[in-house]
Amino acid sequence: MEDFIHSESVDSDLQLKVTISREKLVENVNHVIKAVSSRTTIPILTGIKFVASKEGIELTGSDSDVSIQSFIPLEENGIENATVDIPGQIVLQARFFSDIVKKLPGDQVDLEVDSRLMTRITSGSSEFNLNGQDAEEYPHLPSIREENSFNIRTDVLKHVIKQTVFAVSTSETRPVLTGVNWNIQNGKLSCVSTDSHRLAMRTISIETEDNLEKSNVIIPGKSLSDLAKILDDSGSDWVQIIITDNQILFKSNHLQFYSRLLEGNYPNTQGLIPQESKTEVILSTKSFLQAIDRASLLAREERNNVVKLKTLNDNTIEILSQSTEIGRVFENVSTKSIEGEEIRISFSAKYMMDALSKIDATEIKINFTGAMRPFLIRPVDEQDILMLILPVRTN
Amino acid sequence: MNQSRVIFHIDMNSFYASVEMARHPELRGKPLAIAGKVEDRRGIVVTSSYEARAHGVKTTMQVWEARRKCPQLIVKTPDFDLYRKVSRQLFDLLRTYTEKVEKVSVDEGYMDVTALASRHHPVKLAQEIQQQVFHHLQLPSSIGIAPNKFMAKMASDMKKPMGITILRKREMNQTLWPLPVDEMHGVGQKTAEKLKKIGLQTIGDIAHYPKPAFIEQFGKYGEKLHDRANGIDEREVDPQSEHEFKSISQSITLPKDLTEEEEVQPVLRRLAARLERKLKEKKSMSYQLSLSIRYNNWRNVTRVQSVQQPLQTEEEIYQRAIAIFYQHWNGQPIRLLGITVQSLEPMNKATKQLDLFTYEKDAQKEPLYDTLYSLEKKFGPSAIHLGWKEDPRDQK
Repeated sequence: MEDFIHSESVDSDLQLKVTISREKLVENVNHVIKAVSSRTTIPILTGIKFVASKEGIELTGSDSDVSIQSFIPLEENGIENATVDIPGQIVLQARFFSDIVKKLPGDQVDLEVDSRLMTRITSGSSEFNLNGQDAEEYPHLPSIREENSFNIRTDVLKHVIKQTVFAVSTSETRPVLTGVNWNIQNGKLSCVSTDSHRLAMRTISIETEDNLEKSNVIIPGKSLSDLAKILDDSGSDWVQIIITDNQILFKSNHLQFYSRLLEGNYPNTQGLIPQESKTEVILSTKSFLQAIDRASLLAREERNNVVKLKTLNDNTIEILSQSTEIGRVFENVSTKSIEGEEIRISFSAKYMMDALSKIDATEIKINFTGAMRPFLIRPVDEQDILMLILPVRTN
Repeated sequence: MNQSRVIFHIDMNSFYASVEMARHPELRGKPLAIAGKVEDRRGIVVTSSYEARAHGVKTTMQVWEARRKCPQLIVKTPDFDLYRKVSRQLFDLLRTYTEKVEKVSVDEGYMDVTALASRHHPVKLAQEIQQQVFHHLQLPSSIGIAPNKFMAKMASDMKKPMGITILRKREMNQTLWPLPVDEMHGVGQKTAEKLKKIGLQTIGDIAHYPKPAFIEQFGKYGEKLHDRANGIDEREVDPQSEHEFKSISQSITLPKDLTEEEEVQPVLRRLAARLERKLKEKKSMSYQLSLSIRYNNWRNVTRVQSVQQPLQTEEEIYQRAIAIFYQHWNGQPIRLLGITVQSLEPMNKATKQLDLFTYEKDAQKEPLYDTLYSLEKKFGPSAIHLGWKEDPRDQK
């Protein structure tokens, strides 16, 4: 009886009271925590903002460069995800909150916040009490007007990201190169990335309103990698994309992903792509990739991962790699055709494997213009994906 | 010089694996392999413990193969920072016996103990060193004792682990000469084949082959080989050799503390210019640069950066150094600035990953490389090498 009175008196003091499916909560906390950084200069951003309304529960994580908002509707496809008894909001320490919900024993999680922002999380027989922070102090997300938006199918977007983001620079010496450059013109979106040693370019058609044009949109590579990870299980078929001067917003069913854009001018890469070709080799993507992969067993023991490629007379190329300490490897790979001048060229096995593994074509053509000049790898009949690699100079 | 010397060659037994076992006692007595990439099945075994070798695990074997030979094999990725640190401790310990210590690599070195030998019996001294190394660092070693470097090196190879072997000149006919030529230090696979072709099977065969005829066939290198087979090797134990080859440093203690960027720039330029000259003298390029800043409160900051495009010119070195400086200077007054270039590679072996925005400069030299290639095809490798024009500033 005393217990009952006690809990009544606490209840009257409550600012928020909800019950959520633990699985749903874990999934959505995992999404938004990708934006949370422990090294933020704004202390409250080490937390996750939790807002319960009559429609559902909204979680937000942010490091002020990237913000992710994820929504759990009360009901979805006839399945109840959550019930909100008292709507309200709170900010909870992200690392602790995420670790706690992952390990809670029950299928349901009860979350209650009292007037002192003390948050009680119960599940099964377990109870946690966490100190919350005032959600009023949490910064507002950038407000973005929904004009000039366009849509991309989720699977296509993920694929485009995968095909470009690997080539961004990891060094801060030239910050714009840590991003992927998006340009929109004539209903086409082209995505380019380069770390100055290799370059990846992918173009897709998009449907835009009133001939949308955008140039020099530079999206941090890390934002795109994180987005691709989250989009995995979002279950939505289309992503709506809105670009402003300094922000990009990706919206899917229950997810909003904001990223700051990188400042500065992306170099004009179009002019750097060789237009002519002195040697053209056409061969099977798979057998070439496997040969390079084998050669790299020794190449990666050496600086710059060097493998050497040499055209031979009978439509064959020779792949060679050596490590002073370990040994040498030779391999001849048959090609479909070799046209033009004879070539001997050295390049990084890693860059070649990165590029080949992103091309979904059974046959590729490689165009060389000289041993010290960039070369191009493309599917035989497609123009919408291009990989460029700079060779390694050996003496 | 002609007075008889006493040289030790100390060789650490499966160094990486031993260091791991010293650091993680629970690994002791277990088959352990250090491999390039553990998660990658095809990572290559770099070294392995004696327990693993007993199961047939060998260096350069792929991890999956090693695992098949020895299912209970524990595989770890190398921790080079740790190995370097332990290696420094090892050589510091060796230097407490004599200054004449030459580091050949992380896990082997020579000591010239001639001066100590008048007071200590060489074998006792070797036992003492071996015990001290084992006691302080828990690392097994083998020591070879001989009158010169070559024989000491051959000796340390004869008994492992924890072996001590003496090679005497007068016993060479029993110890060294019966060994097959493959086992002679300095003889590679190619040379071994060539030696066998002319009927030389053992080191003794080389020693007894007429010297002029041998030199005729093997050149200058052959002369050294012939001498060594006869127990002649006059190379000194050189404590400086490590520094000469592995890194070059330049630093300036400033006449007055610097507080402005504009004052720092010319100092770094000067250091870079000196390093360029030294690198060119040594015909080397550098893949790693470190910048040291000492503040007026004596706090030292050293930051290292690796590069894919080797550094050699003043401009290349300066640009790297100043970029590191801007990243790490905390604004306090600076007393000393230093630049070290390390991870050196001979110019004719250095490779350069070309850059999309600057490759044109390299491409201009392409016709030259083509010429080199056709000359090489005609006359064989090393017929010709790229040189460089002497910079007039270098001449004093």
